[in-house]
Amino acid sequence: MNKISLIIKKELFRVFSDRKLIFSLYILPVLIMFAIYGIMGKMIGSMEKDITEHTAIVTVVDATEELKSAIDFSGFSGNANINYIDSAAYETDKDTIVDNIKHGKADLCVIVPKNFDEQVEDYVNGGSTLPNLEVSFNDSENYSSQAYSMFTNSVLGTYKNQLLGKRYGDVRMLEAMSVTTVILTKDEQSNSQFMKMLLPYMVVLMLFAGVMSVGVDAIAGEKERGTLSSMLISPVKRSEIAIGKIVSMAILSSISAAVTTVSMLGAFVLMGSSGGFAAMSGGVSFSPLQIIELLLIMLSLVILYVGIIALIAVYSPNTKAASSIISPLYPLIIIMGMLTMFRTGKETPTIHYAVPVYGNALAISDICSNELSLLHFFISFACTLIIGIVITVLVTKAFNDEKLMFNA
Amino acid sequence: MIEINGLTKIYKLSAKKKKELKTNKDVKTAVNDLSLTAKPGEITGLLGPNGAGKTTTMRCVATLLSPTKGDIKVCGYDTVKDAQKVRDSICFLTNEIKLDEHFTVDYLFTFFGRLKNLDEKTIEARKKELFDTFNMNDFKNKKIEELSTGMKQKASIVVNLVNDPEVVIFDEPTSGLDIVTARVVLDYLKKLRAEGKTVIVSTHIMPEAEKLCDKVAMIIGGRKVIEGTIPEVLEKTQTADLEDAFFKLFMENKESEKEEE
Ligand SMILES: Nc1ncnc2c1ncn2[C@@H]1O[C@H](COP(=O)(O)OP(=O)(O)O)[C@@H](O)[C@H]1O
Ligand SMILES: [Mg+2]
Repeated sequence: MNKISLIIKKELFRVFSDRKLIFSLYILPVLIMFAIYGIMGKMIGSMEKDITEHTAIVTVVDATEELKSAIDFSGFSGNANINYIDSAAYETDKDTIVDNIKHGKADLCVIVPKNFDEQVEDYVNGGSTLPNLEVSFNDSENYSSQAYSMFTNSVLGTYKNQLLGKRYGDVRMLEAMSVTTVILTKDEQSNSQFMKMLLPYMVVLMLFAGVMSVGVDAIAGEKERGTLSSMLISPVKRSEIAIGKIVSMAILSSISAAVTTVSMLGAFVLMGSSGGFAAMSGGVSFSPLQIIELLLIMLSLVILYVGIIALIAVYSPNTKAASSIISPLYPLIIIMGMLTMFRTGKETPTIHYAVPVYGNALAISDICSNELSLLHFFISFACTLIIGIVITVLVTKAFNDEKLMFNA
Repeated sequence: MIEINGLTKIYKLSAKKKKELKTNKDVKTAVNDLSLTAKPGEITGLLGPNGAGKTTTMRCVATLLSPTKGDIKVCGYDTVKDAQKVRDSICFLTNEIKLDEHFTVDYLFTFFGRLKNLDEKTIEARKKELFDTFNMNDFKNKKIEELSTGMKQKASIVVNLVNDPEVVIFDEPTSGLDIVTARVVLDYLKKLRAEGKTVIVSTHIMPEAEKLCDKVAMIIGGRKVIEGTIPEVLEKTQTADLEDAFFKLFMENKESEKEEE
């Protein structure tokens, strides 16, 4: 025990006395995290702001006086550059106008039939043609779509009410009933779609990267540099060396996991306060139980990762060989993390939570959406932990193997 | 005391190793039925050309490898069954065993002292003695990575000697050292001998062996071809010095080595 702690102390001292290692282990991932979330937050925020602030370019052909006043009255004109033309001008410029909308240079074109007012009158008096406005927009352009929905909702709504009001005196006479809509989001679901999608993926991947950067060097690196042999010929049990190495790897990567998580939550809080991103991150909050669950899931994942990487490192003659075996695991883990993003609304079968890595990602995703049952948590935690421990025992055994050093 | 009884070590060859050795056999007999005794108060030399099996023999003595056949006793303990006890009383020095570059000489000295069950007082006393002997005092707080190649090797020797071992196993003690440092190391080995320690060294430099060793064993192709004190070896081979003796034995045994292949 004494010797294990001696080895752990040395391993930790090695990392914490090396500025470069501290940077790459603990600071770089945080910076990357903030950068990714920061850029995404900015992009989403500015996209929304840009669209609402954009001045729509609109052409209205043969506008009636009522329509013009509806445009002004509804406030649409405040954010739009409106070009009123008559049908003669439209005929000559038709191609250019359509083309401009197609190519995103203009946003909307509204054509009022020449005898629109008469049509309205006729219709009231039993005429058969329903008056018709023609509105063209480009649904592949955000600005154009935005202008269209603004125009139909506010301008035409106002216009319709004006016409109907004129006709019947009180518009409310036309309603069969009135409906009061209250929008309810299940509060706990927190609307944190975005976080729910990314957090499991990030945790699963960042932890792996953390363990890999510590573990490969601690075992394969020491073999390669010939520094492990001096420990092997010391009167220390091989299992003590193995446990010392594994525990210090786990400590170092747990710290990196904690740093990563805290910085990720920090990034959410920061980004959340800046405009458009707030809607995406939702009110992120965890209960103490959820935090404990999250930490335990991460701990079991760390033990699993440490085991896997230590086992590979023990049997690799140098860091290069170890890395070349470990790198193919990256895409695998990325896929496992990503798969949680494509879950359908259906209940996820309980057995899925038993799958290492994937099950953990599911559990983390469920924690974010407040849907993790205690059973699922336990299955995910226990299965990963057991597999991790089994692999760790194999690593301890492998330290006794003389192949370890001399491939003999 | 080291007693090697009929040591045979057979390596399984990996595909890469086969290419390296230009052979298509699956195994390589590195040491073949070797017996040898190294006594306290004596420096025993393992002599032989590159690839003779010197390093393999020493790794077996140092508990890093287990014999395929035969057994080795160090201070009466079996290197396989009582490996921990053996490790308590030995020090294995070689070019291949290096110190972690991130630490200072002082830190590693203390670390290995504790690992080898020494108390703080003993560690400090050993530190003073060894740092003085090897002139390490100016370098003790430098990280290993800041030291020159020769200094690194000296640091490795000093750190590994921390437990004042009964048995010192030294693979190619002077390789890579400048003549001044080499002299310091050889003198220290003589001092250990005077203290009654068992010292076993390997070398392919015959004049060095002649000056240093009380007893030598020549190994060619994994087999011991001769053993004895230097005068005994010279007499048996009817030669004037170890180098001549070596070449004579080498020519005689080249044939048998061929058969082996
Ligand atoms: N790990 C190994 N696997 C396979 N063959 C090895 C290994 N180590 C050494 N050998 C072979 O065993 C023989 C003896 O090597 P070694 O003991 O290093 O010789 P020496 O130290 O006398 O130069 C050589 O032919 C060498 O190629
Ligand atoms: Mg050698």
